[in-house]
Amino acid sequence: MEETRKGTPASEATPAAPEPCGRREFIADAVRIGGGAFAILAGADALGAEPDKYDWDAHRWAYLIDTQKCIGCGSCVRACKAENGVPDGYFRTWVERYQVSPEASHVDSPNGGMHGFPAVKTAFEPTKAFFVPKLCNHCKETPCVQVCPVGASYRTRDGAILVDGERCIGCGYCVQACPYGSRFISPVTHTAEKCTWCYHRITKGMKPACVEVCPTSARQFGDMKREDDPVRLAIAHGRVNVLQPHLLTEPQAYYLNLDKEVR
Amino acid sequence: MEHARHVFRVLLVLLVLVIVVVVGRSFLIPRSFGMYGSYRFDNVAEQANARPPLHRGARSCADCHDDRSQALAKGSHARVSCEVCHAPLGTHVKDGDVVAKMAVDPSVRMCGYCHQKIEGRPDKFPQVAFEQHVEGGLGDRGCLDCHDPHSPKL
Repeated sequence: MEETRKGTPASEATPAAPEPCGRREFIADAVRIGGGAFAILAGADALGAEPDKYDWDAHRWAYLIDTQKCIGCGSCVRACKAENGVPDGYFRTWVERYQVSPEASHVDSPNGGMHGFPAVKTAFEPTKAFFVPKLCNHCKETPCVQVCPVGASYRTRDGAILVDGERCIGCGYCVQACPYGSRFISPVTHTAEKCTWCYHRITKGMKPACVEVCPTSARQFGDMKREDDPVRLAIAHGRVNVLQPHLLTEPQAYYLNLDKEVR
Repeated sequence: MEHARHVFRVLLVLLVLVIVVVVGRSFLIPRSFGMYGSYRFDNVAEQANARPPLHRGARSCADCHDDRSQALAKGSHARVSCEVCHAPLGTHVKDGDVVAKMAVDPSVRMCGYCHQKIEGRPDKFPQVAFEQHVEGGLGDRGCLDCHDPHSPKL
């Protein structure tokens, strides 16, 4: 029997003498429900089935966005759509354009920025204009996981917030709970969907698709558990900010050169 | 003694209830639920294997198209990944075999995604007001009639 890992509730079943089938089942079930050794074995198989054994304890992912580098080309949005088969009209990542003056501001994101941005004349004279890429912030203290009534939303040990489509009942509480508008109920599966940081890529040593295609490196992805990781270094030494820090959600998507107008 | 039988019955009913709940739960709650928190741990592996990665990165493209890759590296688009302008590699190659022609959109709109002059882009970034770019307007001409997309500087 495998050792139970740290933090996993261990339940011990006393080995009983041969008994009628019902009792044996009862003990086995009790072990399973306690998250015991049977479950550990079954679960370990699930991750061990991968070719190069991804170890989720060896990573803690973080995302870094430099808003000064973003040119609003929408490559990231198109890449995300293609990579993840995101339904039309819904976005796991999108780009917003801010046009700001001391008196007024105007924000637009036509079709998530997927097909670029039109030249727009605002009613006021903007003194600055810039693009802000948005995606799930993969918060450490995330409200979306807290409100899920069926345990479909969860945070992995490497720091990604994921949705178990098999358990999700599509109630939409998480969609309302997310202060960043990162989630939607898919019209295809009728379950909650969101950015996974391309979990199918990062577990194979690749970067999320949006980071992969960003032509100006406005989007970066890194591992906080690697001392020399450029993203870790930038977060450790640079002046970074997060969206809506007053909500104490501890986002893991960090922003460089974030303007006060951005929420 | 008669009271003792009542107590025994109540205990029996309670025991049956407990068994029903425990056995029922084991059917209703997935196997790997609760191992690392209140979620189904098997889903982590399911998500990791949800689909094969579609974008494979510029280095994968260079495996077959080294010439293009080198030309790109010398030009001002050196930092632009192939899959920004071309389609994702996964639509072109599957398991090492070419399954479809690589799609590319040669339209002005495609170049415009990055280079059309609009509010919001950083000032230093090269931007083009298409209507004023060439004398008499672009007409039917596309960007690629004059510019090589792999090394666009003239």
